[in-house]
Amino acid sequence: MKSNIIFEQEFKVEGGDFINGGDASCQIGNILKDVGISPDIILRLTVAAYEAEMNSVIYARRGTMYFRVSTDKILLKIEDEGKGIDDIELAMKEGYSTATAEIREMGFGAGMGLPNMKRNSDIFNISSEVGKGTKVEIVVNLPEING
Amino acid sequence: MAEKKRFHSIKIDKKKCIGCVTCMKACPQKAIRIGKDRKARINYRICIECAECLRVCPHNAVVPITTKTSDLDKFKYKVALPSPVLFSQFGQYIMPEEILSVLKEVGFDYVKDGTVMCEMASKVMEEYLEEHKLPAPIISSTCPVVVRLIQGLFPALCDLIIPIEAPREIAAKGLREEISRRDKIPAEDIGIFHITPCAAKMVSINYPESMEKSYLNGAISIREIYNMMMMKLKKAGLRPKLQTNIHVQDQISGIGIGWALPDGQVRSVKHHSVSVSGIHDTIKILKDVEAGKLKNIKYLECHTCPDGCVGGPLTVENRFVAKSNVLMLIRKYHDKKFVDDYTAKKLYKEGLFFFKSKVKPKPFPPLDKNRARALKKLKLKEEIIKKLPGDNCGVCGAPDCKTLADDIVRNKAKLTDCRFFKGGTCDPNQKEGKS
Repeated sequence: MKSNIIFEQEFKVEGGDFINGGDASCQIGNILKDVGISPDIILRLTVAAYEAEMNSVIYARRGTMYFRVSTDKILLKIEDEGKGIDDIELAMKEGYSTATAEIREMGFGAGMGLPNMKRNSDIFNISSEVGKGTKVEIVVNLPEING
Repeated sequence: MAEKKRFHSIKIDKKKCIGCVTCMKACPQKAIRIGKDRKARINYRICIECAECLRVCPHNAVVPITTKTSDLDKFKYKVALPSPVLFSQFGQYIMPEEILSVLKEVGFDYVKDGTVMCEMASKVMEEYLEEHKLPAPIISSTCPVVVRLIQGLFPALCDLIIPIEAPREIAAKGLREEISRRDKIPAEDIGIFHITPCAAKMVSINYPESMEKSYLNGAISIREIYNMMMMKLKKAGLRPKLQTNIHVQDQISGIGIGWALPDGQVRSVKHHSVSVSGIHDTIKILKDVEAGKLKNIKYLECHTCPDGCVGGPLTVENRFVAKSNVLMLIRKYHDKKFVDDYTAKKLYKEGLFFFKSKVKPKPFPPLDKNRARALKKLKLKEEIIKKLPGDNCGVCGAPDCKTLADDIVRNKAKLTDCRFFKGGTCDPNQKEGKS
C-alpha cells in the first residue's frame, strides 16, 4: 500500500455561539470538494459535522473539532467541555432531547442530532462523562476509486 | 446521447476590456482572472452565468450573448413569448395587453402571454409538494443559474431540484403545435423567442439540463427591443391600439405576473416556503441546505438576481420601480385566476410539466482527480496561503490570495505572480522539480 497522505485541521467551537455555529462544518464541506470526494459522501459528512458542531454550541461551554481526510477515510472527532450525557443509550433514541424550550424555539433540539450523526457515519463512537464533557468520533469510509 | 458543446451567455470584449479587476472582484465563483495581456478572461468550467461581471463592468466590456432581432428573419413565422418582467418596464399606466400589442408591432407574427402558464406551473408545483413531503426543502428550478450553481457547487442537492419545467418551455411546446396545426406551417419554420430579463435563459435554451432539446428557438433581451417598443408607444401617444389577435383582456393571470418577483412561484402555495434573491444570499442558503439546517422548510425559491427576475441584468427599468409596477399589476389582476384545483390535479397527472430527464450533478473540478494528489495539493495550498500577504490586492491577476494559492497548486499560476511575496521558499514548481 502506498503511503497514506493525510490532511488535518482543527476547529474551535464556542458554546452558545449560534452566530458562528456551523461555520466549521461548512469549511469541512469546502475542503472535501477540493479533494474531489463524491457529492453523496460530502453530504453525509457535512450533515454529521453540522449536528456535532451544533451539539457543542447548544450544550457545551466549548469544544474542538478535529478533522482528518486520508485517501481511504474521513475522520471527525468532536470533544467538548460541558455537562456531558447521563444516559447515552437514551440520548441515542430518535426524538429524545434535553433541550430547553428556548433552544427548541430556535429550531434545534428535536432529538435527531445523535441518531443523524450515527446514520451518516460508518463508524460512530460516543463516550461521555457527566459534568466534564462528551467525545464523539465519526468515520466515513471512502470508496477506492480514481487510483 | 452525445455530449453537446456547452453554451455560454457571457463573453469578454477584449477591445473594450482594460483589465481593471472590477469583474474579477465581483465574480462569486472566482472564475475570472486578469491575464498577462491585462484582459479579463472567464474560466467557463466554473462560470455559472450569473452575470455579476456584466452588472459591474464600467467599460461595457462584458457582453451578453442573446438572440438579435436580425436573427428573427431566419424563421417564416415569428412568435414572442415574453417574461412577465416585460410588463414592469413601461411605467404604471401601460397595461400588459397594450405591451403585448406593441411587442407584436415590433416584428412578430404572434405574441403569447405567459402568465397563465406561470399560474399553471405554480399549481402543479403545489401538487408536487403535496405528494413529496421528503426530502426537504425542495428547490425551485426556473432560474437557470440556480440549476447550474447546484450542479457545480452543491451537487448533492440535485435531487432536491423540483422536476418541473419552466413555464416558458411548456408554453413554447404547446404554441408550436397549435400554430403549426392551425396555420398549416411546418413546425421548423416557426421561431419562438422568449423575451428575457437575463442572458442565462440562453444557456437553458442552448444547453438544457432537464431535456434533450429546448422548445424555444432563442431569447431576445428586454434591452434589445426596449427602444423599438418605446418608439412605437410614443408614436401611439402611449395609447397603443390593441392587436386583434391579442384577446388578453381577461387572460392575464395575477399569480403569473407575480413570477417576476421573488415569492412569485409560491405566493399562492400553502406550504411553508422561503424565497431568496441575489447570488450571494442564494449561495449562503444553499450552504445551509447542504448542512441540513433547513429541513423544516418545504420549498425554497431561489433567484440569483437581486429582487428576482425584475432585477435581471438585461432589464431597463430600475428594479425597485419595476418591482412597484409588478406589485401594482398583482393588485389589479389578483382575482384573475384561471386554474382551479381540478385542472391543477389534471395537469399534474398528465405530467406535461415534468422534466424529461433528471438534473445531473456536475461537480466543479477538484484540485486533482487523484485523491492522494488532491490531498497533497490541498496541504500545499494551505502552506502557500500562509506565505502570501493576504491583503487580496489582485495585482497577480487572481481575485484574492487564497484563489492565487488555488491556481498555483492547479498549475495555472506561479508564486512569483505575487509581487509582494518575499519568502521565496515555497514555489511548488521548483519543489516538484518542474522539468
